[in-house]
Amino acid sequence: MTRFIMTADLRRCIGCQTCTAACRQANATPVGVQWRQVLDIESGEFPDVRRSFVPVGCQHCGEPPCMHVCPTTATYQRDDGLVEVDYEKCIGCGYCAVACPYQARHITHRALFAYGTPMASESARFDARRLSVATKCTFCMDRVDAAKENGMTPGVDPEVTPACVNSCIAGVLSFGDKEDPQSNVSKLLDETQHFRMHEELGTDPGFYYIWDKK
Amino acid sequence: MNHGLKAGPVAAVVTRVPQYCYQCVAGPDLLNVKVEDGVATEVEPNFAAAAVHPGAGKCCVKAYGLIQKTYSPNRLAGPMKRTNPKKGRHEDPGFVPISWEEAFAIIGEKMQEIRARGLSNEEGYPRAAASFGGGGIPTSYMGTFPAFLSAWGPVDFSFGSGQGVSCTHSEHLYGELWHRAFTVCPDTPNCNYVLSFGANVEASGGVVAAWRHGEARERGMKRVQFEPHLSVTGAASAEWVPIKPKTDAAFLFALVHVLLHELPRQALDLHFLKQHTGSPYLVGPNGFYLRDPETKKPLLWDLQRNAAVTFDTPETDPALEGSFTLDAIEVGADGQEWRHRGLVCETSFTKLVTRIRPYTPEWAEQTCDIRSGTARRIAAEYVEYAQVGATLEIDGETLPYRPVSIQFGRTVNNGWGAYECCWARTLLACLIGGLEVPGGTLGTTVRLNRPATTRQASVRINEDGFMFYPMNPTDKANWKPSPAVRNAHATLVPLSANSPWSTALGPTHFSWMFQKDSPEHWPRVTPPDIWFCYRTNPSISFWDTKEIVKRIAEFPFVVAFAYTHDETNHMADVLLPECTDIESTQLIRIGGSKFIEQFWDHEGFALRQPAVKPQGDTKDFTEIATELAVRAGLLEKYNAAINRGAAGISLANGQYDFSLDPKVRHDVDTIWEHSCRAASAELTEGRDSEGLAWYKQHGLRTRPISRLTWYLFPEMKKQGIRFEMPFQERLYRVGLELGNRLHEQGIKWWDVQLEEYGGLPKVMDFPGIWEQETIKQAGVGALADYPFWLITSRSMQYAWGSNVGVQLMDEVAGNMRGHKGVVINSQRARELGIEDGDLVEVSSYTGTTRGPAVLSQGIRMDTLLMMGQFDHWATPYAKDMKAPSMNSLIAMSMALTDSTGSGADLVRVGVRRLEAKKE
Amino acid sequence: MRITPWHQTNWDARAACNFIGGGGGCGLLIFAALATTSSAEYRMAASIALVLIAAGLCCVLAEIGRPLRALNVFLHPQTSWMTREAMVAPFLFTAGAIATWAGGGLFANVAAMLALIYLYCQARMLAAAKGIPAWREPAVIPLMIITGLTEGAGLTALLATLSGTASQWLTGVLLATLILRRIAWKMYSEALNKKGAPKKSLAVLERFSGPYSNYGQSLPEMLIVAALFFPAEYVWLIPLAGAAAAFSGWALKFTIVARAAYNQGFALPVLPVRGQGQPMPGVKPGWTK
Repeated sequence: MTRFIMTADLRRCIGCQTCTAACRQANATPVGVQWRQVLDIESGEFPDVRRSFVPVGCQHCGEPPCMHVCPTTATYQRDDGLVEVDYEKCIGCGYCAVACPYQARHITHRALFAYGTPMASESARFDARRLSVATKCTFCMDRVDAAKENGMTPGVDPEVTPACVNSCIAGVLSFGDKEDPQSNVSKLLDETQHFRMHEELGTDPGFYYIWDKK
Repeated sequence: MNHGLKAGPVAAVVTRVPQYCYQCVAGPDLLNVKVEDGVATEVEPNFAAAAVHPGAGKCCVKAYGLIQKTYSPNRLAGPMKRTNPKKGRHEDPGFVPISWEEAFAIIGEKMQEIRARGLSNEEGYPRAAASFGGGGIPTSYMGTFPAFLSAWGPVDFSFGSGQGVSCTHSEHLYGELWHRAFTVCPDTPNCNYVLSFGANVEASGGVVAAWRHGEARERGMKRVQFEPHLSVTGAASAEWVPIKPKTDAAFLFALVHVLLHELPRQALDLHFLKQHTGSPYLVGPNGFYLRDPETKKPLLWDLQRNAAVTFDTPETDPALEGSFTLDAIEVGADGQEWRHRGLVCETSFTKLVTRIRPYTPEWAEQTCDIRSGTARRIAAEYVEYAQVGATLEIDGETLPYRPVSIQFGRTVNNGWGAYECCWARTLLACLIGGLEVPGGTLGTTVRLNRPATTRQASVRINEDGFMFYPMNPTDKANWKPSPAVRNAHATLVPLSANSPWSTALGPTHFSWMFQKDSPEHWPRVTPPDIWFCYRTNPSISFWDTKEIVKRIAEFPFVVAFAYTHDETNHMADVLLPECTDIESTQLIRIGGSKFIEQFWDHEGFALRQPAVKPQGDTKDFTEIATELAVRAGLLEKYNAAINRGAAGISLANGQYDFSLDPKVRHDVDTIWEHSCRAASAELTEGRDSEGLAWYKQHGLRTRPISRLTWYLFPEMKKQGIRFEMPFQERLYRVGLELGNRLHEQGIKWWDVQLEEYGGLPKVMDFPGIWEQETIKQAGVGALADYPFWLITSRSMQYAWGSNVGVQLMDEVAGNMRGHKGVVINSQRARELGIEDGDLVEVSSYTGTTRGPAVLSQGIRMDTLLMMGQFDHWATPYAKDMKAPSMNSLIAMSMALTDSTGSGADLVRVGVRRLEAKKE
Repeated sequence: MRITPWHQTNWDARAACNFIGGGGGCGLLIFAALATTSSAEYRMAASIALVLIAAGLCCVLAEIGRPLRALNVFLHPQTSWMTREAMVAPFLFTAGAIATWAGGGLFANVAAMLALIYLYCQARMLAAAKGIPAWREPAVIPLMIITGLTEGAGLTALLATLSGTASQWLTGVLLATLILRRIAWKMYSEALNKKGAPKKSLAVLERFSGPYSNYGQSLPEMLIVAALFFPAEYVWLIPLAGAAAAFSGWALKFTIVARAAYNQGFALPVLPVRGQGQPMPGVKPGWTK
């Protein structure tokens, strides 16, 4: 069995949003649609204040509420743990979006471009199939799939690793197979203390937040 | 099953084109541009460079904006000329498209006319001036334009666009003086404890700093952030200490006090102090070193001989402290000498101990708003983490290992109080033997000393046993009463030296200020006949921006290399749109050590190349430079300058010769072909000579270097040079001489600045300088009207590179708190009836600005913060942001200018609510 | 950037109308079968009920992004309550249409059973939306069902009174459903408060609670009690009570679906350690607990 997961080392994150920008480009998402985003959360009271930077997006849950509620089976779960959307099947009912406790799903009904009219880079990659359907982080599924063809390892070889992980300049994000005890993410989780967000909701998220060493 | 994305648009031909990104001073970083069917679609890290690039081959968020930057409809599509001769913010320039031929003809005619009249004007200032964006980075995008400037002759670079006022200015000057450190940083990979005073390195240190500090945090490095607000760096630190603005020097002096007066002397690195600093040098009653009457060399007291000996006497055990009786001379300013017999004197170190005595943690608590216990704890931690006595082997050489460091950010290390901070920081490093050693406080690069190839290469001993420093002369014979450039750096700031970088340092605001009103006994400052500007927007990035706009409007002829319309090129006569970053060619040096934290284990070259065809009728900057050289009649000199290395690499040395024929006009590819071949030859000592095609394919070429080059200490030790700490005899003398020269001219307006020159610094009421100026300008009671300190902070997403007009940067920056608003303490805001998102007006005695309030617990009650300065009124996209800018609130002021010529982004302001948040 | 829960934007008033039309229509269809006394009366009630349910579905059709693919909604009966609701709908309309044509009878009971299932599907559909704390609270299921029944009883009572066929039995049932709805609302509110919810959600519900209790619960209950003491006034007291019961149920659903639907937001159970700093207790911005 394979379960691809992502880890975010919150000790390292500085909220630079490089992953956000890289994802926007790699996946050609419309203006304002950020499949990967880094939150800037302030807590405490002066002078005992903290700011935490927290990458969020689809958690590729083991028990994805979005998939369970989807009336069309457009949202589906793969054997390797990735939760994906079939744009040709989705009716854009938005039920998955309200079922997702991570606010990770986006539905845009009209084409949005950076400066109004599409630039060449936007025209080249505009995909009308994504209008009025649910979209979200795919864990760069096309790259993960390429690994099967070229024998590379997702999370190790950049060609088959999600764009956000590749781009991360502070070594925050890692990607790999949690079921493989020798994978980078398994080792990382073995060495650290971590949590998953909203775990109490029973979603079995595939996104682990590292907060301290063991 | 249809897997959605896979059925999306599929490009027929996909290529990845290697490039570099040097949009900020923290670069260069390496990247690939993904090109699909001829269209650039993505920026990616260059993992092929991961093994050599200290940031794992990655590039920061700004590089991802390059795609939008390239295809933005707001780009200038071709050359334009002004049709409205009147200039000013409210004058429509009436730009109309013209051909490149017409543009070159207009500029060529002007250049010929200027050259015919002489390169300098009646006042002695260069008729040509040029301003580029911060930190020298535009040179990585302007191709061979430096060769054109070199061929031209004298050019005034002193019209500041932010440097001096908004850079880490004091650190540049004093850093180079003390340890060849144009900028200073921790040896992060080896450091375990960093005291960071306002250094927002997680936002300003680029990829490499982010990567290194991320690693260090995971490793357990402790960083304590002293800053009035909780910045990104504060957030990523173990501890945040909300210090009162501009009181950093007081806290640092308190740390020195604890080390010298409260901790046992043995906790310090006494060996380092004795053998590698000026601590044992004996000081006379007039504030100068006591010298041997014959050799005039400084003396120290040798405990072995129990006698005074010259500093370079072998096999000594210098006394660090104490009083001694001896015969000696003192040499003061302008050759004045005092002869002493039976003089009772003290060491520099003893003078230091005495000077520091009043600066107790309790005293600092009153000034900095930090509890005395915190100062004591941090001082103790600093010493404990220093591991005095520990060593580390680097490339076979055993070096002291002191894993503690102190780092400064802007406003801490520029303007009044910055000198004292820099001195205390360097001293604290010396006290535990942590200057320029593994784990400690390091310089990154040199810009004022020469040669600039490595820091080590610029190190040589002076007659007093310290490092030589190329001070501008202050003696009567050589001091220059008439400035060669408009900011008068060589006249007023001896420390600014005289390298090509020097004119962009010193009081760059004087160029603008004096154009309006020259001070007493000062030559009239007149505008340049021709001004080139590129990647700079002083109408937004400098202080008192309304005034700057008026001064630029007085410039008779402005040539702007322009990507898009902006607030500065609004006053241009000709706009020349150059190919942007991924449309043009250039080869630059990479590797070695560079600011801000770029320490490589390699050195070499990287290429920028056209990943896509230029958009619109734009030209490669090198082509523009060549054409300008031709039109100015300077082709031969221009080619000769390229051959000398003005475009980045010398095309000939003893091992190779790829010189261009100076008489022939060369196209872009030919110039870079020769440069690439020279680069290959330089890296292989003449063996290889791969050219442009090789670099286009591989992107970069490097060779390994020793990590010992990261540290200056081995070179200092090898040459027997001491760090010039703690006593500053040289500065004291220079200051006195400068005062003499100025007074001889009748100039008194620099007297306050002259007070900063002294043997040992002292802490003054630095915030009081700003307060007094506020009262002077706005009247008694003004402090009640302006109860807040306004500060700024770096935004990684927007900073540098015209990113303010890039939608993607704007969008992702929105994920971070505080952008485009006025950050105010939540409790204080509510006392003033201000809620999050309310529109507020912030005012100082110079003007007002407005923006939405951002309520935060992470800021002092007495401080407001404006990240980014975004009150654009011409730049497309940016002008619709309606965001505030502190630059409109800060005056260009003589009183707020320190002796190095810098100021600080700091001003007293008031705030009031204008209207409720619009839902 | 949003950290604290913000109102979901995917289901708007059109989605609320599906719950309003569907719930009220189903309730009416059920009580039409149980309480009408004539074919004509049944036909009128059932017709209105079917129109209400259909209107709700039309609202949904108007909201989905790809209406031409609407039939895909039937593809996931295994777990999706939306599919299940959709699958019940054709049978419901067929049975309802036949019963309406027949003026009652067996198909009226079949239609009533299907309406009950449809109502249940709707309640489960809301509860399955895990991203919205105000919806996923299990107590929303009985609340949605009982308010549907209350609305149906109220509408039936209104129609019956207008037709002159009102019965004590129906009035009693209306009172009973109202009381049950009062209990369900209390349980729902208490559960949300106890478990914690987005502050803004609770604020919306709190603001709604007063008028709702007064005019949606106490008023119809008092009207019914008053009718017991003043039988002469029955003809206007009971329809008024029925209308109040129905409209307040719709307001309740509109509030929960389109006003109190703040999403989960983000939370950290513990704050990260930076260098050698100390960990800090977690944060859940915008939540009561």
